[in-house]
Amino acid sequence: MENVLQVILVGILVGGLYGLVALGFALINGVMRFINIAQGSFIVLGGFICYWIVTLLHIDPYLAIPMVMAAMFIVGIILYRSLFSPLLKYPKAEMRLDKSLLLTFGVVWMLDNLEILFWTSNSRSIITSYGFGTVQVLGAALSYTGLIGLGLAVLAAAVLHIVLTRTYFGKHVRAATEDAGAASLSGVNVQRTYLISTGIAVALAGLAGTVIVTSYSVTPGGGISWLLTAMVVVTLAGPGNMNFMIPAGIILGVIQSASTLFVNPAYQQPIALIIFLLIIMFRPQGLFSKGVKGL
Amino acid sequence: MLEISRLDVFYGDLQALWDISISVDEGKIVALVGSNGAGKSTVMKAITGLLKPKSGKIIFRGNRIDRLPPHHIVEMGICMVPEGRRLFPGMSVQENLEVGASPASARKIRSNTISWIYEIFPVLKERARQQAGTLSGGEQQMLAISRALMSNPRLLMIDEMSLGLSPVVVQDLSKIIKEINKSKKLTILLVEQDVQLALSLADQGYIIENGRIVGQGKCSDLLCDAQVKEAYLGMGKEGKTG
Repeated sequence: MENVLQVILVGILVGGLYGLVALGFALINGVMRFINIAQGSFIVLGGFICYWIVTLLHIDPYLAIPMVMAAMFIVGIILYRSLFSPLLKYPKAEMRLDKSLLLTFGVVWMLDNLEILFWTSNSRSIITSYGFGTVQVLGAALSYTGLIGLGLAVLAAAVLHIVLTRTYFGKHVRAATEDAGAASLSGVNVQRTYLISTGIAVALAGLAGTVIVTSYSVTPGGGISWLLTAMVVVTLAGPGNMNFMIPAGIILGVIQSASTLFVNPAYQQPIALIIFLLIIMFRPQGLFSKGVKGL
Repeated sequence: MLEISRLDVFYGDLQALWDISISVDEGKIVALVGSNGAGKSTVMKAITGLLKPKSGKIIFRGNRIDRLPPHHIVEMGICMVPEGRRLFPGMSVQENLEVGASPASARKIRSNTISWIYEIFPVLKERARQQAGTLSGGEQQMLAISRALMSNPRLLMIDEMSLGLSPVVVQDLSKIIKEINKSKKLTILLVEQDVQLALSLADQGYIIENGRIVGQGKCSDLLCDAQVKEAYLGMGKEGKTG
């Protein structure tokens, strides 16, 4: 019984991270209808940048978050300016989707090899003094880093929700998502909302990378498995359903974690992909979607 | 106020507009009428910056606007109610209005504009928290017009206001538009398939056919014009004298 509880709680912690991993991917996919294959690689890059800052400045990794996110925001701006904005000359969203897929696939190769060039192909993780500490919750041992990760994920999702629903910028993003043409006729600078959304999405990858490098480790070329996680979570939540990314991540985390009670833990990724296929086959609009497109 | 001169517009290699010249005077209601596919919406797209003309000029209050992006043109004071309303269906009525107040100058007076709009369209106030997609056709058109008004425009353009609406609703909306034109001194450019409606509302009219302006003048004159009557108002030759 205790074992079951431990497995579920661990699943919730890792699931929060899954939700965080999916947030940035879902934002770009929802707003621009682009598929950013490189989101996983950006997460790894964020982890490496965090590792770098912590090694150079000897500060706590969580204090490095603003710096990591700011750096990744700039990476996002460069990504938009160099690769995304030229795609907007295609008048229909469907025509941009496959091209964004190919372009960002190229970014994956570029980032993976740059990371090897800068940091060698070894995996890196940040070990803090409290990294091995645990809290006892109902008899289950939960790591500090896992709890902080869940907290950051929920915080990021909540802030994003508030930005999208309460601020001018957020309303412009949602308007551009629903009808980019009508938004620009209403005076919304659609290109600017796209630019900043991309920056935010890549900054969120930086946050996810920080959580990963403190709880687990980052490896050049490891981005693709985080991408798969993001895709499974977005499919579970329903595309564009930003409010349900964290719950969907937790569902995936708990299922994966619970599966270790029955099968070898090595099968966690195949299990995620089986869930992905089942959702695509039987509920393509996602678990939480009412069928309305939007953010 | 708005001066369009010798405009040629292409879709790719296909020419859609030939030598279009239209002038809209301040404070007036001007109608651009013509049948389906005549090029009315293309003129609108050129004015709003969605299409860049190949040649010709569009001058608004002394400034050339035909090379500016759409949001910039809205900031200069031209706002269009697009054909088919194009609301943001998943956002609330209030949020649709807020998005309409995007230009910095409109943002400052946003709450005043909203209360004025709720005065002229009380039904929108009742539905402020409702999703725009759940409104009836007439209410959606009211919201689309209101969203455009939120940008505090000097020139309001309405593309196919009457499309898909019942005659009663069209009459109500027409009355309100006339009132806004009078009370706010707002210049209005109407684009309509319903020639009778547009010409009876407007002061000045232009008739467009196959991408060319084929007639223009005071609406009262156009309504009496035999050719216009025959071609657009469904009045046969028997109505004509001589």
